[in-house]
Amino acid sequence: MAIRVNDLPRALTRSRRSTLFSFAAVAAVALVLLLVPRAVQSPYLLHVMILFFLAVSMGESWNVIGGYTGQYSLGHAAYFGTGAYTTLMLLQYRHIAPWWGAWAAVGAALVVALVIGSICFRLRGPYFTLASIAVAEIIRLIALNWKPVTNGAEGILLMDIPPLKIGGMLVTDWLSKAPFYYIGLVLALVTLLVNYLVGRSKLGYCFQAIREDQDAAHSLGINPAFYKNVALAISAVFTALTGAFYGLYIGFIDPHTVLGIDLSVEMVLICIIGGIGTNLGPVVGALVLVPLSEALRANLLARLLFSAGLLDETSRAGAFLKENLAHAHVLIYGILVVLVILFMPDGVLGFAKKLLARRSPGRVPSPSPGAVLGGPDANP
Amino acid sequence: MIVFLQSVLSGVLIGGVYALVGIGLTIIFGVMRVINFAHGELVMIGMYLTWIIFTGLAIDPFVSILISIPAMFAVGALIQKTLINRVLGALPENQILLTVGLGLVLSNLVMLFFTSDYRILTTSYSSSTLRLAGLSVSTPLAISFAITSAITALLYWFLLKTDTGQGIRATAQDRDAAQLMGINVKRMSLLAFGIGAALAGTAGALISPTYYIFPQVGGVFTLKAFVIVVLGGMGSVLGATLGGVIIGVTESLAAVYISAGMKELFVYVLFLIVLLFRPAGLLGRSRV
Amino acid sequence: MKTFLTAAIVLGLGLPSAARAEGVKIGIINSMTGPEAPIGESLTNGIKLAQDDLAKKNIKVELIWEDDTGKPQVAMSAIEKLATRDNVAGVVGPYTSASANAVAKQAQRYKVPLLVPVAAKEDITRQGYEWVFRLNAPANVYAQVLLDAVTQLGKPKTMALIYENTDFGTSTANTAKEYADKKGIKVVADESYSKGSPDYRSTLTKVKALSPDLVFMVSYVADAILLMRQAREMGLKPQAFLGGGAGFTTAQFASEKDISNQVLTSTQWTDDVPWPGAKDFATRYKAKFNKEPPYHAACAYAAMMIMAEVASKQGGDREKVRSALASGSWNGIMGDVKFESYEGYANQNRHPMLVQQIQDGKYVTVFPDKFAGGKKASYPFPGWK
Repeated sequence: MAIRVNDLPRALTRSRRSTLFSFAAVAAVALVLLLVPRAVQSPYLLHVMILFFLAVSMGESWNVIGGYTGQYSLGHAAYFGTGAYTTLMLLQYRHIAPWWGAWAAVGAALVVALVIGSICFRLRGPYFTLASIAVAEIIRLIALNWKPVTNGAEGILLMDIPPLKIGGMLVTDWLSKAPFYYIGLVLALVTLLVNYLVGRSKLGYCFQAIREDQDAAHSLGINPAFYKNVALAISAVFTALTGAFYGLYIGFIDPHTVLGIDLSVEMVLICIIGGIGTNLGPVVGALVLVPLSEALRANLLARLLFSAGLLDETSRAGAFLKENLAHAHVLIYGILVVLVILFMPDGVLGFAKKLLARRSPGRVPSPSPGAVLGGPDANP
Repeated sequence: MIVFLQSVLSGVLIGGVYALVGIGLTIIFGVMRVINFAHGELVMIGMYLTWIIFTGLAIDPFVSILISIPAMFAVGALIQKTLINRVLGALPENQILLTVGLGLVLSNLVMLFFTSDYRILTTSYSSSTLRLAGLSVSTPLAISFAITSAITALLYWFLLKTDTGQGIRATAQDRDAAQLMGINVKRMSLLAFGIGAALAGTAGALISPTYYIFPQVGGVFTLKAFVIVVLGGMGSVLGATLGGVIIGVTESLAAVYISAGMKELFVYVLFLIVLLFRPAGLLGRSRV
Repeated sequence: MKTFLTAAIVLGLGLPSAARAEGVKIGIINSMTGPEAPIGESLTNGIKLAQDDLAKKNIKVELIWEDDTGKPQVAMSAIEKLATRDNVAGVVGPYTSASANAVAKQAQRYKVPLLVPVAAKEDITRQGYEWVFRLNAPANVYAQVLLDAVTQLGKPKTMALIYENTDFGTSTANTAKEYADKKGIKVVADESYSKGSPDYRSTLTKVKALSPDLVFMVSYVADAILLMRQAREMGLKPQAFLGGGAGFTTAQFASEKDISNQVLTSTQWTDDVPWPGAKDFATRYKAKFNKEPPYHAACAYAAMMIMAEVASKQGGDREKVRSALASGSWNGIMGDVKFESYEGYANQNRHPMLVQQIQDGKYVTVFPDKFAGGKKASYPFPGWK
């Protein structure tokens, strides 16, 4: 535990040059991404990119409460669904444009977060996780049974998004993918920035202090209940915005898809695979999971094995894989999670950093918290 | 009145099976402090095992537990040895996620080999009933309740009277102290996970004549088991038994007097209330 | 990081599709995995059988299969890919209503003819989309045809509704409520349940206490069997048990003779209906897949045949395919098919649904009279053995 706390001064004294460098890198990537819709005509590729942005935003939002504050919520679908439902219900039934509705979604998510926070933060560790699942399930069941308001299991099918006009000038009519692409990109960048700011602010240090040792933090004068609620509020707001964006983009929501426990698990998976509690972890997680799930769905993995000559398409094993591998993407997610937790407790990003540090002897690698806490058998 | 009695009776009978799932989870938690998110998947594997034995060897589901109990014990011990043991000292969050991942792997592996078809066991007594003072009781459910009670009694005897059982309880009470007293803590962990898995598998076997089987069926039981265990007090076997019956009856009454679609809602609300006002559970020692 | 992404994209774009280019390309979107997979498999089988028949007729089409895992956002990925990367002439699918809804919107946007084989939600063909066609009858017909049948058979006064709280369950139950009102039948119980609960006894106890004349259930197969088993346990005895399609029209349900006898269900298709090729389809389906053909398979087969014939005749031109679908008419295992606009629907086949009764483990078509071929339903329900 001591090692993690020692990380803080290290982060503070990190040279300004490397900070500038990573800023420049992010800016360059963002610039390239901004130009993508101009260069790329394929809506499918844009769609995959939008899914990627969605995954990044979900992961980064969860990271604030789960990664930095150490409160492993497995009920974040509650905020995602609240955001999606608020925006779409206002648009569909009250004809309130989504750029106003999204603010209502933020407000609704804040209310939900405060209620959930005041209930669940009385509990710690695994008890908090269990309570967060229970609350999310309660919200899902309410959405399912409160038919006059939410349309129950039939869900909400979005008709049309009104065209966005500023001063009489048409900005977008939402018919192409480009506006969604840009909104997704902005959302992903904003959540990334939020994580960056949280990681480097006094607020963020309070979060991290709570993560490392709540009682010690308390004795240092940090009010855990207050800071946990702040972290949850930040996380909930951006999760809700992501949910609103999802609802508008896909155009259909129902309690199962936007409030289900699968979604909550997915948010955590993005972070855990990339590297929890780091800026870029969720980005890496999304980079692994989104292309992986698309590739598996299109059965690319099996084809790759065949074309590489590793397997014969006509052999029994080959036929089995061809038939079934496309269906197995959740299985592969599961295997990934198990492997990551056992062998790379800091995620892909942490693992890569460790490898890099090992190559350049000048730097001393920071031991992973898992290895320190894990006892003799934790890291074989 | 007859409606009320009938629904309480149905609740108690189904609650017995829930209790079995809950007891398994609570023993695992007690000994290792690991919340097993893959517990429902163990129930699911127990169900498939029963189905295979029934369709392949034509052995009655209630007899087949003689095969599935040792088989599930081995599965549990294997999971403990290869996976859980490696993260015993790690962050509790990582333990949770490991079992979440394990659950995904198990349910999707089963789906890969058995497809996601619903399997339903049809025995000669699947839809037969006993009449009891104007109430009807499903025969297979009554049999499974009797077996559940017997197994629970056996388990109490094992935990209270045998040396190994006392070792498990000592480890649950204080792992370090138990180790200092010369108890083989590692062996106790292995036993605990094995017993937990065997109980989950047995519950799966006992419920399969009156229920149906598909790869994702575990999720229902995982969530219920959490509620039961927290309700009874984490680590308390007696608490889990009581918790199972309470949940069964709550669901049953909520379905009759409010709405079937809302019964889970009441279970979760009850869960939150207990978590907030009696976090140690009804019979647990306060340790939160 | 960027190189990884580029690599992933190149991988995603480079490998497939370029392989063979024989015949017109048609996309299939179906739930091959996930919770909807058991019924998705029937659609797959129906389409495979259509593939055999197309080969016999020397109609060359290349099918591109996409799995939507039962999720609308994945179905959207699939239609994007089919419309823009594979350049298909038309799409058959998806199975679930939620996915079909999302896909219909995209099909309209990309101007790809979409033929929905079996998704029931009414909205799908009520948006005025000119590129979206539906072969099966929408959700409201499931309840209507059943209530028409029982009011012809007897004079039920009250009805209890028990349905799964999913899209299909609630929308079918809603139309049942509306239509029961029109027919002067009072709905005395309205019970939705979450799929996968092991115990429906409490709900059934409550229903039994109300002693309704009809018990109308909307469930998938496993719950259908469970509900009937427990109804028998509880001694529930209405004039008739009605099943709204889905789980009540499966061979697995019928084979549970103890509990399935005399249940009336609505369906899109049966194997004893006098539509050309229906019987033959059933025989060949059983021979090939060793299973009884459910209506989902027949719908998928018919949709595939129509789409393939039209698309190959029009040489894969999407606009021509669309207008040929809109103006043509067909006659096959699903009877007469013609896509019309009526009562707010657009491009909807006015498919007559059937009522069948399980008699000794076998489905017998008993209503409407013109498709029943003289077979009669037995009514009321005589009670449990």
